[in-house]
Parts: sequence; C-alpha cells; structure tokens
Amino acid sequence: MGNIRLLIVDDVEDNRLVLKAICRKIEGFEIAEAEDGVEAVAKTASWSPHIILMDVMMPQMDGFEASKIIKSNYPETIIMAVTAVMDTQMEENMTSIGVAAYIRKPIDKELIRFKLENFAALLRAKEGEFKRLSTKEALNPFCADIRHFKTVFDICDSDAMMDFGMWILSRCEEKWATSCTKVDGVIELFYELMRQGTRNAEPLSIVIEENFEEIFVTIKFEKMIELKPKATSLIQELGADCIVQENLVCVRLGMAKEVLSIPQKRAVSVSKTALPVIETPTIPSVEAACEPEVVKEVKETRIVHSEEKEMLRQSFVHKTTAIEYVREIGGDVLDEIRDLESLNEEWEEKLRILEEEHTVQNLRNFVDGVLGVYVHAINNLVEFTALGYALSSLGAFLKENAKAIIDDPATLKKMVMLMEHLGSDLVSWREHIFSLQDTADIHYLDSSFFSSCMQIEGIIGNKELEVEDDNDMEFF
Amino acid sequence: MAKRVIIVDDSRAVVATAELALDEMIGSGVIEFKSYLNPLELLGALQAGSENFDLLISDVNMPEMNGLDLARAIKSDERYKTKPIIILTTESSEQMKMTGKEIGVTGWMVKPFSDDKLVKSLKMVLGV
Repeated sequence: MGNIRLLIVDDVEDNRLVLKAICRKIEGFEIAEAEDGVEAVAKTASWSPHIILMDVMMPQMDGFEASKIIKSNYPETIIMAVTAVMDTQMEENMTSIGVAAYIRKPIDKELIRFKLENFAALLRAKEGEFKRLSTKEALNPFCADIRHFKTVFDICDSDAMMDFGMWILSRCEEKWATSCTKVDGVIELFYELMRQGTRNAEPLSIVIEENFEEIFVTIKFEKMIELKPKATSLIQELGADCIVQENLVCVRLGMAKEVLSIPQKRAVSVSKTALPVIETPTIPSVEAACEPEVVKEVKETRIVHSEEKEMLRQSFVHKTTAIEYVREIGGDVLDEIRDLESLNEEWEEKLRILEEEHTVQNLRNFVDGVLGVYVHAINNLVEFTALGYALSSLGAFLKENAKAIIDDPATLKKMVMLMEHLGSDLVSWREHIFSLQDTADIHYLDSSFFSSCMQIEGIIGNKELEVEDDNDMEFF
Repeated sequence: MAKRVIIVDDSRAVVATAELALDEMIGSGVIEFKSYLNPLELLGALQAGSENFDLLISDVNMPEMNGLDLARAIKSDERYKTKPIIILTTESSEQMKMTGKEIGVTGWMVKPFSDDKLVKSLKMVLGV
C-alpha cells in the first residue's frame, strides 16, 4: 500500500501546526488539513484519508457531526478524536458511531505517534504488508523474524495436552478465519510427542511463536529425542514444514503452501483496493543482526521543514513574565517541574554509565529514564509545546539510531558531551523560570532549545542542516 | 596568527555545537575559540581591556542582556568600533535585523545553522 493518508481537522491553526509537526515525523504518512467539520467531510470525499485526527469542538460543524457523516459513508476510515474537554457523554456518542480512539489535550506526542503507527501497521497488515519484527532470539529454526509475544504451554498431564489442542485450533481459526489444512496433522504429531514425553515423566513445554503470516509450534524436551515410528511417519507427512533438532521438534503453520515454501521472505499480497502497492518499508531494527549499513561518503542533509521552522520562529506577542506564569499554573504541575531538580544527578549518572559501558540499553535508559521524564513534565505545561516536541523528537531520534551511535565511539562521545550541555541548559531554563522567576519572557529559550535539538540531531546523525529558508544568512 | 573568535550564548548546547562546527579551524590554528554564557561578563572583560576579539558571534535572547544591546554597547567603544559582530539567533524578523544593521553588526545568521555556512561566513568575515 502507498502512504497512509492522514487528515488533521482542527479550527485552530496552531493546533494543526503542532499535530502536523508531530505526525510528519512518522514515516510513510501523507498529511492534509481541514479547518472544520464541513471541510473534513468534503476532504474525505475527495482525498479518501485512511486516518483522521478530528478535533471535537469546531464552528460550523463539530467533530461529532462530521465523524457521523464520514463513518456512515466511509466506514473503513479510522477516526481519532482529539479533545480538551472531558465529556463522557460525548465520548460514548463518539464510540457509538465508530470513533476508534481518543487523544486528550494537552497532547502527548509519543502517544499520538504510537497510536498512529499502530493503526498504520494494522492497515498495512490488512494489505499484506508487514514490517520487520525481529528484535530477539527465536526458538523456532524457521524464522527469526517473529512478533514480540509467545505462548507457552507447560505440558504436565492430559488436561494440558487438551488445552494445547483447543488453543491451536482456535488460534488458527482466528488468524486465518478457517482451520489451516495441516493443523490436524500437527495436533496428532504433538499428541504423540506429548504422550511420549509424559510417559517418560519428562518436563515438557510447547512454545508458540508467530509472525504475521505463520505460527511456529515448538516442543522442547529435556534430552535428545528418540522418535517412535508413528511420530516419524507424521513428521514425514509434514515434509518441509517440520524440523527436528536434537531436543526439539518444530512445525510451522500457515495459510497457503506457496507462502510456506518461501522461508524468510515476506509474502506481499496484491492490494484489492484502489490503493497503490509499494514495497514494504524496511524498519531498521536496533538489535537485529542486519546487514551492515553502507557508510555514505557524502554528508546527508537534514532539512528543517517549514512546519518545524514555524514552530522554531513562533513568537509570542504577549510576553509573559516568569512570576505571572508561575502564579497561574497549578500546584501539581509546578511540583512536577520542581521535582526535576532531583533528576540533575541522574542525568549525569546515566550519561557516565553510558560512557563507561557502551550499550544500546544504557542509551535507552538515558532517553527513557531522564530525557523522557523531562518531556513528560514539559508536556503538562501547555505553554511549552515546541520545547516538549523538540526534546521528545530528539529522544526518539536517539533511540532509533541507538545501535549506530553505540557502534561509533566518536559519535557516542559527541552525543554524551552534547547531552551534558543540553542538561545544563535545561537546569538553567528551569531555574530562571520556576525558581528564580527572573525572566521577563518565559519563552526566551524555547526556540534556542528547538534549534539545539535539531543541531544535535544533525551532528549525531552526521547530517548537514538545511533550513527551507533563503533568508537564514544575511550580511549587511 | 590565530584570529580570536568569541561566541556569547546562554545555551551551552549552542556553544558546543558551534565549537564542533569550527573544530577544523580551531585544530589547524586558524582561529582560537572562546565562549561566554553571560554577555555581561564579556562586556565587563572587554571594557576592562582583559578581553579582545577579531570576531564576535552573539545570540540575541539572553536573560542577563539582549545581544543587540550588547552589540550596541561594544560598538560604542572606540576600541571595538570596527570589529565584526555576527548575530546568531533564532530571531528572523526584518525589524530586528534592521535594528542590528543600524547598530552596525556585520551579519545575521539564523539558528539552526549549517556547519558549512558558519565556517564559510567566518572565513569570509575574517579573510582567512
């Protein structure tokens, strides 16, 4: 399938701008905007968005009315309501017409992205396109590219054997809407193997792993298996879909023979809709043993897009002093910000650990454990959207590129140094606004932070920054 | 002889990114690099004569003193009247640029900056 078309509907331009800036970070999304419900309905008819981020309170036609019309004409469209108002009645009404999710303001950027990526993955999965999954070791010898969950059966008696049989039948039905042709043979084989194991009073477990197309059922014995003639004959019947290795027997179950006969290769079904078919995007996996990336000679460019530029250049006409601001915001929010003081040492400590022990996990611990805490606290301050966005984007960038950073000591060193400085800047920002309250404009550092985060991203990603602006340099 | 380049910006991250961008020029001895986080400290040192520069790069929005006020104060001192000052800021309004021009700053660069453009600007202004 092609890009996911996302329609952002909000009557406030700033809100559209923020949502657009958040969403354009997600790969494979095409974005359009509408200013109210009427325009949203018209745009849905002409542009057929897959997903709509729908504000609720809007002039002319509100989000509820618009969603109702859209869902009745285009039931496939996924609508996510974005609202600042806690109105359970409205939520119930929205749910009753098929609104899929709620996003509450102030907006949690990471959550929006997560939800959108989930819906996008679901849409793509429906089209037969699956992203690469492998981030951990698979037990089955067929495919390392498995989903992040597994089902384990401890086989101790006949009831447990029955449980397994029932489960595998229902799972195949659920996954492929029909029983897979081989499942009966598999149940028979596993029944035989389980009987053999329980007879010998061996502790047995069956581990089921899945990707989007196949199910891998593996039975693991304590010791090497001595197969009885019946089991051998059942294994032979399963042919290439069964592998026997020392102490395990693994079978794969799938929808169609042609899919099963091409191990490790994604089966891409032809789209039945009018959507264009594209190659499945390869999502770089941090821990997977992928082919080494080709080092590019030419420095790539990180374009600073117009939406980011607008956020960067946003100026606040009415300057708010720190004293006024702190007086206005709630105690809980203030407490959360003040609590960040205790994070100073942890910020340094996590960086020190990372410097001493170069691991992806330590890098993630820094991003989630300290940078993420800052993002969370700042996101509660509606006034600092740009700052929260900048920090969370930087965090996401670091996590996405964790392996590359860890693998290059020079880059890691730069990253640690820059993060130390960024941490000092945040401390200073917090002190001037919330402790000393001595700044005449609470936004004095917003744009600078935004800019620094992009700059850091450019340095760590070895990309030259390019602003979509011809007036970024002027000599008088 | 190395040209003395001073950057004044209240953000340590900005100073660090600028220093990384100028790494080659610093390493090869073309320039020597000094940074100040507080414009008042720089102004005090310049007025006392304990500091000097061949090029000053200044931010605008700083808590202790606005970068344009700093430039005005420096330019009003006969010793530094002809010394080039480049403003490096996220501000890009024409009105503000006009103020800068009137004060006598040499150039205006908007953050985030490209390393390449920063290096080229420095080379051009310093004639190195």
